[in-house]
Amino acid sequence: MEETVKILIDELRVKIIDTLNLEDIMPDDIGENDQLIGGELGLDSIDVLELVMMIEKDYSVRIDNKELGAKVFANLRALAGYIQEKSPGLSH
Amino acid sequence: MGLITPVSRGVPETKASIMNGVRGIGPVTLFPVPRGRSLPVGEIHGSFEMDGLPRTHQFALIAAEEAMADSSDAPDAIVIGGTTGGMALTEEHLKRGDTSRELFKYHATGSVAEYLAARLKCRGPVITVSTACSSGTAALKVALEMLREGRARNILVGGADSLCRLTYYGFNALQLIDPAGARPLDVDRRGMTVSEGAGMLLLEGKDKVPDNAIAEILGAGLSCDAYHPSSPDPEGTGALAAMRAAIKDGCISASEIDYVNLHGTGTIDNDLSEARALDRLFVEDKPLLSSIKGAFGHSLAAAGAIEAVISAMSISDNFVPGNTGCKTPDPELRLNPVIEPMESDIQTVLSSSFGFGGNNASVVIGKPKKEGAAISSQGPSHLTIVGCACITGAGKTRMTEKAFSEGRSCKGILPDREVSKDLSPKTVRRIKRLSRLALSLAIAAHKDSGESDDPNSLFFGTGWGPLSNTYDFLTKLYESGEHFTSPTDFIGSVHNAPAGLLAIRFRARGPNITTTGGDYSFEQSLMTASLLTKERDDLILVVGADESHEILSGLFDDSVSGDQTPSDGGGAICLRRADTPSGLRLLPTFFEYSKGNPSIILSLIDSLGGPAKIKSKYGALLAGIPGSLRERGRDQLSQFLEGSGFGGPVIDYRRLTGEFASASAVAAVLAVCFAREGKIPEGLCGKKSSSLNGKGILIIGLGKFVTAVEVIT
Repeated sequence: MEETVKILIDELRVKIIDTLNLEDIMPDDIGENDQLIGGELGLDSIDVLELVMMIEKDYSVRIDNKELGAKVFANLRALAGYIQEKSPGLSH
Repeated sequence: MGLITPVSRGVPETKASIMNGVRGIGPVTLFPVPRGRSLPVGEIHGSFEMDGLPRTHQFALIAAEEAMADSSDAPDAIVIGGTTGGMALTEEHLKRGDTSRELFKYHATGSVAEYLAARLKCRGPVITVSTACSSGTAALKVALEMLREGRARNILVGGADSLCRLTYYGFNALQLIDPAGARPLDVDRRGMTVSEGAGMLLLEGKDKVPDNAIAEILGAGLSCDAYHPSSPDPEGTGALAAMRAAIKDGCISASEIDYVNLHGTGTIDNDLSEARALDRLFVEDKPLLSSIKGAFGHSLAAAGAIEAVISAMSISDNFVPGNTGCKTPDPELRLNPVIEPMESDIQTVLSSSFGFGGNNASVVIGKPKKEGAAISSQGPSHLTIVGCACITGAGKTRMTEKAFSEGRSCKGILPDREVSKDLSPKTVRRIKRLSRLALSLAIAAHKDSGESDDPNSLFFGTGWGPLSNTYDFLTKLYESGEHFTSPTDFIGSVHNAPAGLLAIRFRARGPNITTTGGDYSFEQSLMTASLLTKERDDLILVVGADESHEILSGLFDDSVSGDQTPSDGGGAICLRRADTPSGLRLLPTFFEYSKGNPSIILSLIDSLGGPAKIKSKYGALLAGIPGSLRERGRDQLSQFLEGSGFGGPVIDYRRLTGEFASASAVAAVLAVCFAREGKIPEGLCGKKSSSLNGKGILIIGLGKFVTAVEVIT
C-alpha cells in the first residue's frame, strides 16, 4: 500500500479514538479492514457525524450524504483512501 | 389563542397567510454566519431588543397577551414548552466573554414561564416542559390533566423558542437541514428548517361549554421510543403509541379524525417513520393531512403549540392548511397531502410532535361538545415509594445520609469516577456529567426498590440542564470561527437528553417528561409524575439532578455564585401507582408563585389542612431556602412556623446539601430514609434523636415559589 495512505490510516486510528472518547481501545485494536460502523467498535450514526466533522476540520474533506458516508466509513482503508483522494492538503 | 410566527403575527393574520400560501423561510439575518454557510431559517423580523429580555420571552408574551385578551382573570396555572429560553442572548454574551451575572438573568429555559407568570399575575403552579421538539404538545397533555384533576380552572399553555446559534449550527452538524428549505413529504426532501415563534392557548375546564369556546382538547397521549438519542424509531412504533394514546384518551376512534396535522419536519427519517405510524393507525383511508413546516419552519418547542392553535383554527373556521414545500409526494410514504389550502368541514384534528430522546406527544382537538368533560372531584392520590438514591459531594446515598445525619456538610462535587463507577465505559464514553448523574441515580433507585420490572414512566427535573455539553458545543463553535462543532454535544445539550438515555436503559416506553424551573424543578417533575401516571401498577422513576460547571453555574445561578463551595448532585425516587396506596408514600401538595401573592404562606397552611392537621400529620420539616433568597425564604419560614404552630425539628437543608437547583431531590430522598427509620437523627435535632411517632415529613421549598411535598407512612 502507498506510504501516505499507511501513515494516514495510523493517524486516523488515533483521531477516531480521541474524537469518540474510546477509552479502552488502543490504535492497534482497529484493523484496517474492520467494519467501522455497527461492528465490534460499537459506533453508530452519531459517531459517524462526529467523525465527519473531524474529517472536514482536519482534512477539509466533506462527507455530506448518507450514501457516501456508508461507502467511506466501511473500514479504515476506505476512509483513508477517500480522504487521500479528496484532501487538498494530501492529494497529488 | 395567540400566535407569533415567521409567517404572521396574531391568529387572524395567520389564517390569511395560510390561505394565501405564504412562506416564512429565508436567509438568516439574526447573527452573522461565515461565508458560504448561510442556511434558510424561519426568522421573525422586527425589533425585539427590549431591556435585556431575550427573544423567546418577548415572543411568549406577545402570544400570551393575544390569548388572554378577552380574559379579565389571571390564569390559575401556566404550562410552557421550551428548549432555548434565553440562549440567543446568552450565546452572544459568552462569545464576547461577558462575566456580569445580570446579563444572564433570563437564560434559564424555565424563566420564560416565570416571566409570563409575573406579567400575567399568575399565582399558581408554573411548569416548563423541556422535551425538545415535542415540548409544546407535551405541555398540552400536562395542562389537560391539571384541568381534569381540578387543580386549576383555567390554564395558559403553549410553547416558545427563538433562533440561536446553538440550534442553527447544531441541527446543521447533524446534517438535518435542507439547504433549499424544508420540503415535508417531498420525494427530494433533505431536511428541516430551524425556525422560531410562540403559540399560546387559554384552556378552561368547566362542566358546561363556555359560549366563547373555539375548540376542545379531547385527549392527548405521550410515549417514548426508547430507541436512540436523536433518531426516531424507523418503524414509527413510538409515534403510533402516542397517537393511539391520544385517540383513546379522547374517547374517539381513528376513523373520526378529519385532519392530521403532521409533525412533518421534512427530514428523511422523520417523515418516513411518521408515515409508517400513520399507515398502521389508519387501516383504511387516511384523512386529509398536511405539515405546515414547509411554510412555518420547525420552531422546536413552539411548534406543537403553534400547530395546536392552527388545528383549533381549522376546526372553528373549517379549513385545512396546505403542505407548503411539497412538489412531488414521496411514493414510499404512501401519503397524499393537501398541497393547496382548502376549505373543508373539520370536526376533529390529530396533531403530533416528536423530539430528540424519542419523545412523542399527540393531541386530539375537536369541536366543542355540548357537555363538558368530567372533572374529577377526588383530587390526586399518593404514590407508593419503593426505592430511592441520592448523590452529593459527600458521596452516594449511604455516605450522604451518614454525613447529613451527623449534621456535617455534604457540599462539593463527587468525582466523576465515583459517579460513573457502576456505569460501563461503553455507556459513558459520549455522555457527560449530568447524564452520568441521572443514570447513576436512576439505576441505584431502581436497584434499591428491589422491583423486578423496569419503570415505564420517567420524569426528570433539572434547573440548568446539561451545562458541559452546552459549554463545549459553543466553545468548539467559537474557537473555529463558527465553522465546526460537535454533533454529540448538541444532542447531549437538550434538557431531556438524560431522560432519553434513561428510557433506552430501562426500555421505558411510557410518558417521559423533563421539567425545568430553577430550584423547583424536582417539585415540577413530581407534580408531572402525579398527573401523568394514571395506569394502575405503573412503576415510575422521578429524578432530579444538576451538574456544577466551573464557568456557567456561577454565571447562571445566583445561589451558586454566592456560595464558596461548588456543589452538585441530585436524587431519584422509584414509585408505584396503586389503587389504595399504603406504606411509605409521597404526594406533591402545593405549588404557588410568591410574586404578588402576599398570603402565599396562609395558602400553604390552609392547603395542608390547617395548624392542627399540620402538627398531627408531620413530625419534621425539611425547608429549602435558596442562598440567593435567604431573607425572603427565612421570612416565609417564620411565617409558616408561627402560622402553623409547628414545633418539631426544622432542617434548613441547603446549608448541608450545598447550593444547586436540584437540592430538593436530595432532601426528598433523605426524607424517605428518615421516614423508613422512623426518626430524625440527633445530629440534626440538636438533642437526642427525635422519633417521628408514625408521623410523616414535610418538604417545603421557599423563595420565588413555595412548594410542599409530603412523605407519609
